[in-house]
Amino acid sequence: MATATGNEQNIANLDMPTKRRSLWADAWYRLFRNKGAVVGMVVIAIFLLIAIFASVIFPPTVNGVKNPHAPLTINDGKGFLPPAWIAEGPNGQKSDPSFILGTDTLGRDVLSRVLYGARVSMVVGFVPTIIMLVVGLVIGLYSGYQGGWVDNVLMRLTDIIWAFPDLLFFIIVMIALRDTPLGQAFNGLLMLFGALALVNWVGEARVVRGQVLSLKEKEFVEAARCIGATDTRIMFKHILPNSLGPVIIMSAMMVPGMIITEAILGFLGLGLIPAQDPNSFFITSWGALMLEGQTALNAQPWLLLGAATCVALVVLSFNFLGDGLRDAFDPRLQGTQ
Amino acid sequence: MRSKLFAVLSLLIVASMVLAACQTPTPEVKEVVKTVVVENKVVETVVVEKAGETTVITATPAPAAPVAKEALLRINLGTYPDIIDPQKSSFVNEIGHLKLMYEGLTRLNDKLETIPAAAEKWEYSADATELTFTLRKDLKYSDGTILNAKRFEYSILRNIDPATAGEYGSITDEIVGAAEWRGSSPDDAAGADLKAAVEVRALDAAGQPCKDYEQADCLTLKLKFRQPAPYFHTVMSLWVTFPAKEENIAEGGDNWWNSSKFHTGNGPFVLESLEPFVRAYFVPNANYWRGQATYNIEFRYINDAAVSFEAYKNNEFDIIGAGAEDIATIKADAVLSKELMQYAGGCTYAVYFTATKPPFDDPKVRQAFAQALDREGWVKDVLKGNGSPAHTWVVPGCPGYVAEDNKWGYNPEEAKKALAESKYAGNMPEVVATFGDTPRNRTRWEWLVAKWKEVLGVDIKLNPVEPTTFTALTKEKETIPQMFILGWCMDYPDPQNWLSVYWMSTSSYAQRYSFSNAEMDEWMKKGDTESDPVKRMENYKQAQLILSDQAAVAYMWNNLNSYLVKPWVKGVVTTPQDSDFAGSNDPLTITIDTTMLP
Amino acid sequence: MFGYLIRRFLAMIPVLVIVAAITFILMHAAPGGPWDRDPSAKQLDATTLKRMNEYYGLDKPLWRQFTAYVFGDFNSKGAFICGAICGNLGPSYRVRGMTVQSILFSPPEDKPFWYSKFGYSARLGVFALLFAIVIGIPVGIFSALNRNSIFDYIGLFITTVGISVPNFVIAIYLIIIFGSWLHLIAIVPKSWEPISAWILPAVVLGFGTLARTARMTRASMLEVIRQDYIRTARAKGLAERVVITRHMIKNAMIPVVTILGPALAGLVTGAFIIETMFSFPGMGREYVLSIQRRDYSMIMGTTLLFAFLVALANLSVDIVYVFLDPRIKLS
Repeated sequence: MATATGNEQNIANLDMPTKRRSLWADAWYRLFRNKGAVVGMVVIAIFLLIAIFASVIFPPTVNGVKNPHAPLTINDGKGFLPPAWIAEGPNGQKSDPSFILGTDTLGRDVLSRVLYGARVSMVVGFVPTIIMLVVGLVIGLYSGYQGGWVDNVLMRLTDIIWAFPDLLFFIIVMIALRDTPLGQAFNGLLMLFGALALVNWVGEARVVRGQVLSLKEKEFVEAARCIGATDTRIMFKHILPNSLGPVIIMSAMMVPGMIITEAILGFLGLGLIPAQDPNSFFITSWGALMLEGQTALNAQPWLLLGAATCVALVVLSFNFLGDGLRDAFDPRLQGTQ
Repeated sequence: MRSKLFAVLSLLIVASMVLAACQTPTPEVKEVVKTVVVENKVVETVVVEKAGETTVITATPAPAAPVAKEALLRINLGTYPDIIDPQKSSFVNEIGHLKLMYEGLTRLNDKLETIPAAAEKWEYSADATELTFTLRKDLKYSDGTILNAKRFEYSILRNIDPATAGEYGSITDEIVGAAEWRGSSPDDAAGADLKAAVEVRALDAAGQPCKDYEQADCLTLKLKFRQPAPYFHTVMSLWVTFPAKEENIAEGGDNWWNSSKFHTGNGPFVLESLEPFVRAYFVPNANYWRGQATYNIEFRYINDAAVSFEAYKNNEFDIIGAGAEDIATIKADAVLSKELMQYAGGCTYAVYFTATKPPFDDPKVRQAFAQALDREGWVKDVLKGNGSPAHTWVVPGCPGYVAEDNKWGYNPEEAKKALAESKYAGNMPEVVATFGDTPRNRTRWEWLVAKWKEVLGVDIKLNPVEPTTFTALTKEKETIPQMFILGWCMDYPDPQNWLSVYWMSTSSYAQRYSFSNAEMDEWMKKGDTESDPVKRMENYKQAQLILSDQAAVAYMWNNLNSYLVKPWVKGVVTTPQDSDFAGSNDPLTITIDTTMLP
Repeated sequence: MFGYLIRRFLAMIPVLVIVAAITFILMHAAPGGPWDRDPSAKQLDATTLKRMNEYYGLDKPLWRQFTAYVFGDFNSKGAFICGAICGNLGPSYRVRGMTVQSILFSPPEDKPFWYSKFGYSARLGVFALLFAIVIGIPVGIFSALNRNSIFDYIGLFITTVGISVPNFVIAIYLIIIFGSWLHLIAIVPKSWEPISAWILPAVVLGFGTLARTARMTRASMLEVIRQDYIRTARAKGLAERVVITRHMIKNAMIPVVTILGPALAGLVTGAFIIETMFSFPGMGREYVLSIQRRDYSMIMGTTLLFAFLVALANLSVDIVYVFLDPRIKLS
């Protein structure tokens, strides 16, 4: 039966004399030796660069003239052009080689919209996920470790948050905060994070708690307690590292959920305020492209496929990176190569 | 993970989605099965055409032989109705069911003229305050029982009854006593008196009030109006007059309509079975006075245009609605393009400018915005041909349409001039456009504001809101947005419905938009009460000219009905009032050519 | 154990009341009401509107509406109408004449309970969950045991698709492949009687859960593989099969069970997309549309049902923990 050979080798190497490195330096070192993690990091870095430099690749104006490929430029009569490699689309439109992925319903360049979409979606995919990770970890750890009435109250709270209709909550948030500075900050993105994170940490908290319930009864925790470690130390130094795997995976799975949720909220009037200024930073998002694309899957599949491919790539990279991170921070592999 | 939000995605699945690359390949091997039925004896001839060779096999009659294909019209209706009750329904899909099962006193022909249906004739008094219908003799329900005028009396009264509280309760308010009874409380002790005072009377041959539902000579229905209402025979074609049986409603209780056994009707079809959210199956009504249809109808409820389109291509549907995004694809396809039926509908959509809110309190600004609207471009680039440019309030093809009422067409120069002449030239206040947030509306408004910016140089802020919030906002005078798009679809083809119901200063619609024009009111009132048809139309024409002159709204587009209809569905006669499927106005003209079925 | 169950069931009462209160406040704070139908529809006139508000008690103060819904109130004739605590979820605002409980739980005439909307959804949800578990868990385990093998990467690819591609896209692709190309299924099922009609909707519905289950199983397995007691188990010479089944899988199931519990609650309360795409008579559309339509009693009814199921699922999860790891104590 095949087993995790990599680990066994590492374990076998445990007593090899190596220079002591700090936990972090050690983790970095191991992270960079992991091919999957490196590929993941490179892909994420590319998307970050695209997000930052989208306006350099497709500037709103070229030499003072409106750029037909800018994400907000409407090209009359060029709606739903097929991608460049298809001569004639199913709707009878001939392709234009300068629009590589074709155009959307108003004749806007799909490629440039996908690239600009990286800005919103990278932010929306990661920032609430990190907030949820932190809140979920703390509540889950505390609840599971303390047990008793603390656990009972906190877990009933998660039951409540899990069940109440978040759609209604989002609608209320929109009505209450839309016209405040908070609601307008970053084209409405700030409010979005808050609302998303506020109702989505419960899954994470339950998973962490479940892990803690099991781990806190394990020998190494008892050992730590015997030598007089504080609760905080036991929670964060002993239990947390041992429950990281599922937590990291849970977070990786949150990312696409957030990206799509952003678009759905867009249709509750809570999402991104539609940009009209071609120079604004947040213009469109992958989620919005997917939703627009599914109404027109027949005429212009690349609206959907382009955005969906990007989301899948980001998720895949994050999965690889998460795996790598998990290994890198494995307490049992400390000091090994 | 929370799956709820993902579920909401589907709210947004309004239009089609079908993968471009996935077109069904045309099968190379064709099989043609012909069946001839001679006096109960099946003589079957099978012709099998394979690429290259043709074999003809003549089989002797065998028990396993395929019988004649069923003439069945399979229609995707999209959404399952909330309620299938003649006096409570208000949505097109609900009415689609009712129109098959029931028939009113009058009906519309293919030119949208009102023609006799259950009533063989009608007559107005000289001042048009009294309307007398004479029913056809020997009318029968699908179960063979007598249908007399008393049944219609019951239906109209049920529509007025405060306990019914239907969306269309107010449509019969012109009848003497109707508004009073409808306005009373259902628990009111005086209810019976108020009901008795409503001037809807079923009379027998002797002119005496009818006694019961069995009385065969009860053929006269007399309505009295509080003011002349020369259009009312058209109102009587609506579903609110459909004669559902009182005893069935009593037996079935509040949700009697949810079961096929209580739907005994007088329409061309009978509801044979109803499986909520899955299917409704209709068979021809043998007792229908105009004759019996030759096919059955099956309604299905696939609310996803992409699946519906896929099922149509797979020969699982015979008629489906075609989505705007797919029109170009359908037109480019050799087969589908022949099956597409596109024709004018009965709705007008317009941009509304709230005249109480600056800058739209200045008519010059409204005029400038109206003239800066490139309706041709809108229809071509945004609606993808699924609409036609509108220049009038009343749709073309409806009585009362005024062709010369073509003001404020696209004219960028005039638009700029008008804006420069307005009092807001150079100091334009903030303009905010509010809309219900859907993928379609977003792109529509992005296009619109870009065009207004291009022509007028005005920056318009977009304010997408949750769709129900949008409805709520537009219903109150206090919260009405500065600028928005709404439409009006006629209930019945008469200018009274287009104008008086909507724009009269006493109407709830006009009040919401703070629209009031005394001169226009005057013309509409004249039109509503005028018995002479020619003079009547002239009055409505004057009212329309004033409406356009005010530029309270900028007419934008009329909808087009777009349906895909399989070639074996013959005899479809279309009208702008078709709502659920092509030819729904008169399903009796439709036949299914079973020899063409695959 | 019995005492624990009693306590947990009692704890559900405050949870449900709080969920009801939050939902009630949120839905009444949301602009618009049950009579604001979409703008293309005919709106109620003022007279009828007043009548409707009286009928549904919307003219009463909010606190009274809330207590009337949850506990009960006297109607205009002086009779006491019991509220949600008696299982009366109120009259629907959209389908007038029917109560929420009859819409959700009453089967069509002459049919058993599982032909009701909730029954249909529950059956589909269970199928979907079975599909997710039966495929997801073995894939996760196998991927973890064969880490970085080709199988692991294929599994990763498929699960990534399941997580990142919205299910309406998956549904339409499957419909095209199995309906239009292979002609294996009818795109519009003729009937929901044959089990074959349920396969595609259950697969589409369960795919996301499958992907999550597989990833979670894999991650959790990798976590367990590294633990000392696995090494101990091996060291004491246990057969590899026993180590995997008795020690690894059992311990690795804790996070998986944690996510599956609430997932089941979500799956059995219906899936709007599946229902609209496959013409499936479940309750998901009620759940989603009621919010858009501000069908107050339906929002309350579906939310309370969901809250109850979530609480029940989480309780079951806590009990399953004890079976998976006997050292966990029910507090």
